[in-house]
Amino acid sequence: MEMVAASRCPDCGWVVAPPVRICPRHPVEMTPVEIAGYGSVLSYTTLTAVPEGFKPPLHIAVVELPGGARIFCHGKETRQLKIGRRVVIEQVDGIFYFAHLGLADRVTMFWKRRGAAPQRTTGAVKSAVKRFLSVYKNPPSGTAPPAENGTRSNEEEQNHRPAEKS
Amino acid sequence: MRDVWIAAAAMTRFGRRSETLEDLMADAALEALREAGREPTALVVTAMDPEEFVGEGNFASHMGTYLGLSHVPAIRVETATSSGAAALYAGFALIASGFHNHVLVVGGEKMTHVSTPRVSEIISRVIDPHERSYGATMPALAAIVARAALAKGLITELDMAQVAVKNHANGARNPYAHFQQPVTLEEVMSSRMIADPLRLQHCCPISDGAAAVLLTSDPTGTKLAGMGQGSDYLAVRYRDSLTGFRATQDAAKAAFQMAGFGPERVQVAEIHDAFAPFEILSLEDIGLFPPGKAAKAAQNGELTLEGRLPVNPSGGLKARGHALAATGVAQVVELVWQLTGRALGRQVKASVGLAHSIGGLATNNWVTLVEQVA
Repeated sequence: MEMVAASRCPDCGWVVAPPVRICPRHPVEMTPVEIAGYGSVLSYTTLTAVPEGFKPPLHIAVVELPGGARIFCHGKETRQLKIGRRVVIEQVDGIFYFAHLGLADRVTMFWKRRGAAPQRTTGAVKSAVKRFLSVYKNPPSGTAPPAENGTRSNEEEQNHRPAEKS
Repeated sequence: MRDVWIAAAAMTRFGRRSETLEDLMADAALEALREAGREPTALVVTAMDPEEFVGEGNFASHMGTYLGLSHVPAIRVETATSSGAAALYAGFALIASGFHNHVLVVGGEKMTHVSTPRVSEIISRVIDPHERSYGATMPALAAIVARAALAKGLITELDMAQVAVKNHANGARNPYAHFQQPVTLEEVMSSRMIADPLRLQHCCPISDGAAAVLLTSDPTGTKLAGMGQGSDYLAVRYRDSLTGFRATQDAAKAAFQMAGFGPERVQVAEIHDAFAPFEILSLEDIGLFPPGKAAKAAQNGELTLEGRLPVNPSGGLKARGHALAATGVAQVVELVWQLTGRALGRQVKASVGLAHSIGGLATNNWVTLVEQVA
């Protein structure tokens, strides 16, 4: 399971990702945590008019992770996406991607990011290697992330695992 | 706190203009000064990004000198796309506090000489860096809001298209509008997709233009009855709701509280329809319609010039145009003209008007109430 770097407010308990220094709700320094990289889609769009450095169509989704933190991420497509759909998050070169994807999809997806061709190719290869290793480390339990089948306490442990312990 | 009155209101036509930013702002400012027949004791200027768009800095002094008002204290105010409303608020505060008696507020923007991708890039700097790094533009974030609102059943694709059709119909009657041609439902619904589900005809244009208002402590009959500001997280992903804007809700509450009356007295409204669904969602955030009822009112024709509550008689950001920092001031200019019977061709019957301005993706919003008391 991919872990996503986040931060947690020691006062109100709010978790945001990516991590920030000060809780956006009040001026208190946050503590780094890691949260499990899966969640549900809050909303999404496909851009046909893209900013400089991106190629259309550009698929963007807002995903709510366990514990409530939301992140923006890219994907191969949004055609079959629905609000509320559960997706897994993968992080390559610091960029989040959603869904469960095959190698061909990854190559297309990375091709859309900014950067020179060799970097994009490396991104696609890294992504494929990462997926292979994660399957190797966590024997297949279908497409569902482990916590979905686990107990609630398991899930909470995954949600708010302090960074220094991982 | 002293009452604040509007002595004059003026604007240039919005659109693709060949004049410089300084001349557009001067055209609006000089017309307001002529109409008011008095000299300002302070100047509040606003342009959202003159550094990038036209390469000018120290903008308050730059405009003070250009307008022949370098002897008057000048400040520049900026809150992204609601900068015009923020400038009015600063002018309002200067008079209400007793610091000044006559304040000239002038807002302008000049963008059409810059390429569209470059303009989009400059404007998208108002977005949270994490979200922007994923290619999120203003239309992208608006699309994320629209998608969530569609899924909740707050709006339909037809409702969104009808906002554009209505506002273009109004713009066609406004000689100051960027677009003075109507559009059909079919044209809107088949226009190019920009950020699914938002199409080109759901989005406001890139416009040049300027607007100016002279505020005064002398009663003129046209009162700036209430102003409210509301704010929210820069990051859209931090918010509890994607489909309601806290910044608008708080701004409306503050404005109505200051004015001492509620939404029921509002008879005409200028709403920040930068993206068509925002008009419907904002009417509910402001409290002009109960939650879930604004789309129905639009379907019943209640928001047209002849309807119960005419919304965006100017054509709104969609048709009048969106010259960024000029927009918040231009909305109030339209209200003044409506309340004083000077909105030729699109006149409605009203003595209380409301203007609503969104800064960024609803990070710094304003509601302004104008009342004709004499």
